Amino acid sequence: MKLTFEVFFPALRPWVENLVNVWPAPFVKPQFASFEVLHILSLILLGGTAILMNLRLIGAGVTDEPPSEIYRNLRRWQDLGVIGIVVTGVLIGMANAERLYDSTAFVVKMLALLAGVVLTYGASRPVARADGAVSTGAKLWLLIGGALFLLGIWVFVTGALINVGLFHVLSAAALLVLIALTGRLRWIYLAGLIVLIAASQFLTHVGVEPDDLAKLDPVNKTFFVLYSLWIFGAAAVQLFVKERGAEAGAVAKLIAYATILVWVVGAAAGRWIAFA
Amino acid sequence: LVWLEAELGKGSGDTALSWSQALEGSLNFWNLLEGTHLITLMLFAGTIFVVDLRLLGVTFRKTPVSVVSDRVLPLTVAGFVLMIVTGLALFLAKPVIYYHSLWFRLKLVFLAVAMINIVIFHARVQRNQHKWDTLALPPRAARISAVLSLASWAAVITMGRFIPYNWFDCGKPIPHIVNVLENCKASDHGAVDKESMAKIAGGQGQ
Repeated sequence: MKLTFEVFFPALRPWVENLVNVWPAPFVKPQFASFEVLHILSLILLGGTAILMNLRLIGAGVTDEPPSEIYRNLRRWQDLGVIGIVVTGVLIGMANAERLYDSTAFVVKMLALLAGVVLTYGASRPVARADGAVSTGAKLWLLIGGALFLLGIWVFVTGALINVGLFHVLSAAALLVLIALTGRLRWIYLAGLIVLIAASQFLTHVGVEPDDLAKLDPVNKTFFVLYSLWIFGAAAVQLFVKERGAEAGAVAKLIAYATILVWVVGAAAGRWIAFA
Repeated sequence: LVWLEAELGKGSGDTALSWSQALEGSLNFWNLLEGTHLITLMLFAGTIFVVDLRLLGVTFRKTPVSVVSDRVLPLTVAGFVLMIVTGLALFLAKPVIYYHSLWFRLKLVFLAVAMINIVIFHARVQRNQHKWDTLALPPRAARISAVLSLASWAAVITMGRFIPYNWFDCGKPIPHIVNVLENCKASDHGAVDKESMAKIAGGQGQ
């Protein structure tokens, strides 16, 4: 079954079909590309601030300053990014409503947006403000945001034609862990990653005929699982490593990883709306 | 570019594809490259914007500029490397289309502006950075450089987003100046001047 908003709200179709005629959609539609640019610029602002704020909790980035200082300096810019993606998202969404209504990737994007807002405002920012101390409230928001995040991942994984987009999330996680790890651990992790990449490329280009999709599909899926185990296994190790400049504990780091990756999921799903 | 698109990497046999054709016709790989190119903007542009905002004196005012740039720019560079690799691969998939695209050409122009700005910043503005490194509001030259950086990268992103749109494709009736800027005469679709078409239509009307 294709999981779209139509499955949950079938009676809304006439309303959705008419959204393109409701102000300001008739004004937005001819300027669609310009509003897309504003959406992307907002995403960049949100992404940059989320990366720096959460990397600091993980123990990387601007480690010369405490997490609370990073939070204090970036929060307003992050607010601007969140407001920007929501406002421009609503506008371009109205001008393109029917397509979104029929898109599984859009369901993922909305779940990621919700999870992103919950994790950012409920968990990541309060933890950064408290220099890594995790309150009961933050833990609660982590559970709620984490559940929404995992639900979004599940829809992504099971979505036909869009689940390839999860490689974006995996790549981002791979890079994030590479940045977060230090010393010998980083080199071991990188070596393992290179071995996995070489093995997957060999098998999918030499071991199996390039057009034999029936064989390529299980090989690709197997490697997706192996990549995930290696990357998230390394991240799990990093959670419990006490490094210089890392005031935050394992739960704070978990919040930070999740908060960066949830926005990557949102961006990836947004892009795959156009592809599938 | 035609060789790059149609010949490079082409094997033997009638159905053999060049690397460019194989990439463009791939089931998912092109989409993954394009998606990665876009998502990496969060790392690349997102972090460079923060450094520019520090140079403008609107964030991290108590943190020395050198601390922000030393800690943030390695992330920016990592993002930039990914942007270049995926960007080159995307160009390989459709070199002729991009060559004749006004938006792609403008993107390269703004990319050059951004690069020149970086060179000038390092060669001239940063020369006396020790004098203003801890100032909440850096000197005018640094702020101008930050504004130029923000504007040129925003322009690069804007032009990049406009590339898929066919408003000014060669072969369509488009203004003469755009035909010249896109070198449409050399394209398979040729150059069709909007002004000439209007004149012909006007003449037929009379």
